[in-house]
Amino acid sequence: MERKRAKRTYLGFSLLFVLLAVFLIWNLLAGSVSLSASEIWQILLGGGEDLTQRRIIMQIRLPRMMAALILGGALSVSGYLLQTFFHNPIAGPFVLGISSGAKLAVSLVMIFLLSRGVKSSSALLIGAAFVGAMLAMGLILLISQYVDQMSLLVVCGVMIGYICSALTDFLVTFADDSNIVNLHNWSNGSFSGMKWEDVETMAWVCGAALLLTFFLSKPIRAYQLGEVYARNLGVPIRAFRTALILLSSVLSACVTAFAGPVSFVGIALPHLMKALFKTAEPLLMIPACFLGGGIFCLVCDLIARTAFAPAAVSISSVTAVFGAPVVIYMMICRKAGRT
Amino acid sequence: MKSYLKTEDLAVGYHGKPLIEEVSLCVQRGKIVTLIGPNGSGKSTILKTIIGQLPELSGAVYLDGETMRSRSRNDIARRMAILMTVRVEPELMTCRDVVSSGRYPYTGKLGMLREEDRKIVEQSLAQADALSFADSPFSAISDGQRQRILLARALCQQPQLIVLDEPTSYLDIRYKLELLSVLKRMVRENDLAVLLSLHELDLARRISDTVVCVAGDRIDRIGPPEEIFTSDYIAQLYHLERGKYDPCFSTLEFVP
Repeated sequence: MERKRAKRTYLGFSLLFVLLAVFLIWNLLAGSVSLSASEIWQILLGGGEDLTQRRIIMQIRLPRMMAALILGGALSVSGYLLQTFFHNPIAGPFVLGISSGAKLAVSLVMIFLLSRGVKSSSALLIGAAFVGAMLAMGLILLISQYVDQMSLLVVCGVMIGYICSALTDFLVTFADDSNIVNLHNWSNGSFSGMKWEDVETMAWVCGAALLLTFFLSKPIRAYQLGEVYARNLGVPIRAFRTALILLSSVLSACVTAFAGPVSFVGIALPHLMKALFKTAEPLLMIPACFLGGGIFCLVCDLIARTAFAPAAVSISSVTAVFGAPVVIYMMICRKAGRT
Repeated sequence: MKSYLKTEDLAVGYHGKPLIEEVSLCVQRGKIVTLIGPNGSGKSTILKTIIGQLPELSGAVYLDGETMRSRSRNDIARRMAILMTVRVEPELMTCRDVVSSGRYPYTGKLGMLREEDRKIVEQSLAQADALSFADSPFSAISDGQRQRILLARALCQQPQLIVLDEPTSYLDIRYKLELLSVLKRMVRENDLAVLLSLHELDLARRISDTVVCVAGDRIDRIGPPEEIFTSDYIAQLYHLERGKYDPCFSTLEFVP
């Protein structure tokens, strides 16, 4: 048994790393300007005479790719934490309205600043997204005190999400400013236009949050048996739950601040990873969800920007097309497994 | 002999409203103390307060001579394990994984199991007669097997006290007997103190060293089984107006 598990872990991570390598390279190669592999290799090594080509790789494709990897991973880990917290397989930052809450807060800040001609800093946007995420989360927690049934709670989350999205659309429609075009793009979800400074900021924020999450592995494992048993084992329940909420909100807020709301990664990827590794062990799941989410977003971004080129599709449309069926399939499997 | 668990004038209840006051009971190591009483009489409330799931409204719970409040979480976890009625539905965990979770108070920062931890997991599985299905997924085994796994999990915590809330509910008679005989053996082999609640009077009579009768607003009587299980007293405790309790067979009967 132990050996079988070790083998599965080894194979699982090997598969993830191979996929990661494949899609990283594919993402570098694909695009409206076609560049050969050798040209790209030259540029990566610091050579390459053509400045435009150099700019496309170093300033556009590479940062965009890194952003998709980091943010996809963050979203997936955020989903894993929420599923642990609510003991519910369809909890996720998008479903519970947390992404939409963050989106609303970021839009407010953007519109407010744009109308005064101030350029918004990424720290400010992350801050706003975090506040929005926490407000939506707070509302969900408040409702959860009155609603025992988890399915109802998820319905409430979806409703909160709709309200926030509607308000955001309202703001975007009536804020007349030429810069709003950007805002509109962002509020649909997109990895385009990422700069290296952005990537650096998100790497710090997500890296720190992931590290802290990793050190929650032990209580997460105990919490999987339910609150009563976790408390008896000595988990400080209140502090632990607060930590879970804060970390998952920071992670999904960071994604929303940079890429707008991205749907279904948070729900679908933890399921896929649990199915791949056949375990919910947090020490494996945290890195696996991060890698899986990153790869998933690399694939989806690749499709979003190349499939209908020159038109670019919003990232959420692609993640939904691939993510939603996974969720439906998982639900059916769970049901079948239980009876 | 010194009691391992003792409650002193404990008041228990929900939302700050006391349901039962002046609960004073004690459990010694190597002994089984059973709470009996009608549905809704407060057995679970007492147990939940003792394990710290509900706050003590007044009075105190002493664990090995010191109050629960003065002990750290980890300290309590190393002394007291539980088996409650909440459903445990862990995702993708084998029975062995569930049992290993009992090592939590002893492992390091990331909760990795060391060699000696694994040994204790195997011993606990063996003591609960659960080795044969240790590799099965927890979601795939029967209710009777689940209770045995949860018992092994509790044992794996190396406690001196185990608190169980109606561990035999929903089990058929064979599993009920099996579970209680495993429990009895554990008490003997590990010198455990056990506090549990039971619905089945025949089982309570057979397994207990002391019986505590909970009657809704008070602890009505505490005593050895032979004193409690008399026809008159049980009829009174369970408000049997037209029925009677047969002490020979430990059964309740309705008089037509």
